[in-house]
Amino acid sequence: MLNFISLLKNEQMKLYSRFATWSMYIILAVILFAGALIVFVFDNIDEQTYNDNWKEQLAQENEELLEVNEEVEYFGFDSEIAINEYHIENDVKPLPYDAWQFTLENAGLSMIISLFTIIVAAGIISNEYRWGTIKLLLIRPISRTKILFSKFVSVLLFSITMLAFLFIISLVIGAIFFGINGWNPSLVQMGTDGVEEVSIFAEIFTQYGLNMVNLVMMATFAFMISTLFRSSAMAIGLAIFLMFTGNSIIGFVAEYDWAKYILFANTNLNQYFGSGSPVMDGMTLGFSITVLVVYFVLFLLVSWFTFTKRDIAGN
Amino acid sequence: MTASMELQDVHKSIGNKQIIKGLNFSIKRGEVFGFLGPNGAGKTTTIRMMVGLMKITSGDIKINGLSIKHNFKEAIQHVGAIVENPEMYPFMSGWNNLKHYARMIPGITDERIKEVIRLVGLEKAIHEKVGKYSLGMRQRMGIAQALLHKPSILILDEPTNGLDPAGIREIRTYIRNLAEQEQVSVIVSSHLLSEIELMCDRIGIIKNGELITVEEVQDTNTENDHVTVKLDVDDNEKVKSILQDQLELEAKIVQDRVVANLPKRIVPQLVRKLVEEDIAIYEVAVERSRLEDKFFELIGENTIA
Ligand SMILES: Nc1ncnc2c1ncn2[C@@H]1O[C@H](COP(=O)(O)OP(=O)(O)OP(=O)(O)O)[C@@H](O)[C@H]1O
Ligand SMILES: [Mg+2]
Repeated sequence: MLNFISLLKNEQMKLYSRFATWSMYIILAVILFAGALIVFVFDNIDEQTYNDNWKEQLAQENEELLEVNEEVEYFGFDSEIAINEYHIENDVKPLPYDAWQFTLENAGLSMIISLFTIIVAAGIISNEYRWGTIKLLLIRPISRTKILFSKFVSVLLFSITMLAFLFIISLVIGAIFFGINGWNPSLVQMGTDGVEEVSIFAEIFTQYGLNMVNLVMMATFAFMISTLFRSSAMAIGLAIFLMFTGNSIIGFVAEYDWAKYILFANTNLNQYFGSGSPVMDGMTLGFSITVLVVYFVLFLLVSWFTFTKRDIAGN
Repeated sequence: MTASMELQDVHKSIGNKQIIKGLNFSIKRGEVFGFLGPNGAGKTTTIRMMVGLMKITSGDIKINGLSIKHNFKEAIQHVGAIVENPEMYPFMSGWNNLKHYARMIPGITDERIKEVIRLVGLEKAIHEKVGKYSLGMRQRMGIAQALLHKPSILILDEPTNGLDPAGIREIRTYIRNLAEQEQVSVIVSSHLLSEIELMCDRIGIIKNGELITVEEVQDTNTENDHVTVKLDVDDNEKVKSILQDQLELEAKIVQDRVVANLPKRIVPQLVRKLVEEDIAIYEVAVERSRLEDKFFELIGENTIA
């Protein structure tokens, strides 16, 4: 165990000794800052805040939304209207936009973290080959299985660190730009059974967690490809390509029953939460989790098999 | 006493190609063993099998009696190695590189790391990035990482590669010290006899994946050994006749040099004679013969497979 922690320390040291890794954090921070700035300048948050007559304001808003809905004969604003009504009926004043909401919206940025994690996962094995250091790494009294596993855990550690960074920096930047409504404000939103009031903290946690699923699957995939082909470029390319085209692929083959067994039909677990609906009929949360676990184990097995069985020959 | 390392009928095939064709030899404790062969002979492949980087197709390698195939962790604990170039993480300091490998073996203290750094003489540059190191410094780093855990067997693949004569001499001194004072067994590979003969006790010559011969490196001071002497003098014919008529030696003229084979103890007598005869001597080159001849014979007909 001590041994394993030493290996993790080594991997983290190698990761954070390179500027490339730090630049990922810098890029993320810059994106967050720019996002906050844009919302701050263009969204006129002051106009959206509600005064003491907030019930009338909401009723007014609903009338306008209803008109729009009828004009276009498309009921896209139904949920907004329902949420506003909930506020009025339950005497809950809508809170102004704040750091928490900013943080919740930034859950979408975990896409960028996925990207960075793919890059890290794709390099963590293949770089050792490229640098030639794999030879010195594998002549220590430690099994290859343990070394491989420590590298995989290091990738997960990296993504969790980055997610924590995203969360904390979002809160800080959000607080600076928009202020903060206490420590755990609640959020009124559309749930599976109509409008509900939830803790925003729990909601943020759920969103970040759900996005983590996709992230872990793609990182594991990149990890496998890079172990197989010892090429980080190929692993990054394939993983990112699939990440962006995965949903369209599902779109093309959705008519076939086997499509639900494709990884990408299952990575977005949001389909089972809130106002989401399953990608295909007959899919359940349990089904998706099973499919994900099977893929996950398969990816790791392929990595393990190639890494432990392969000769380390010259290039 | 079990041998430090023992190769038992080791074969290696990659695809259909047989690269190593049945190696059998063993290395004694405290011995420096030279592993000599032309490019492509199979030195690196053999070393990769010794340290478990490559699987052994058939046969086995025992390290202090432990099979590298079946007891990898226990066997490799006794081994320190450089395989081909000593590649390090260029973006980390020398210290962090050593710390990295130290963490992989229990019981290596910071004190031990410092000790090894002193041994290889890298104190000054140890906190700089390895990317800035010269080749010679990287070779030293390679030796340092191999010595961290006080291995009883040190395997060095072409450690003299890219080093200047002073660097080679320095490595020679380390290696002799390790073998003589700490009873470390050392395996050094090279494709140049001249670079390793002075540090080795025995030299095995490998070619096309087969061990041709294992030779003791003779103590060069044995006076009765025959040596080849090449003389660069002003009058070849006269010297040749002096050698033949007065000293009763076989002599011939090759490439403007007088060449003779004679016991080493005759050399001073020969020089004195030539001086007496008023010959201008520009050079007396003495070559130890057997090993070198053997190696040149091999290299000469070698075709890289
Ligand atoms: N991965 C591989 N696939 C196929 N053949 C290989 C592989 N690795 C090495 N060989 C072949 O095995 C032979 C031995 O190579 P090896 O690297 O062991 O030689 P060497 O004695 O170390 O040579 P050098 O002095 O050049 O370092 C060569 O003919 C080489 O072409
Ligand atoms: Mg070699």
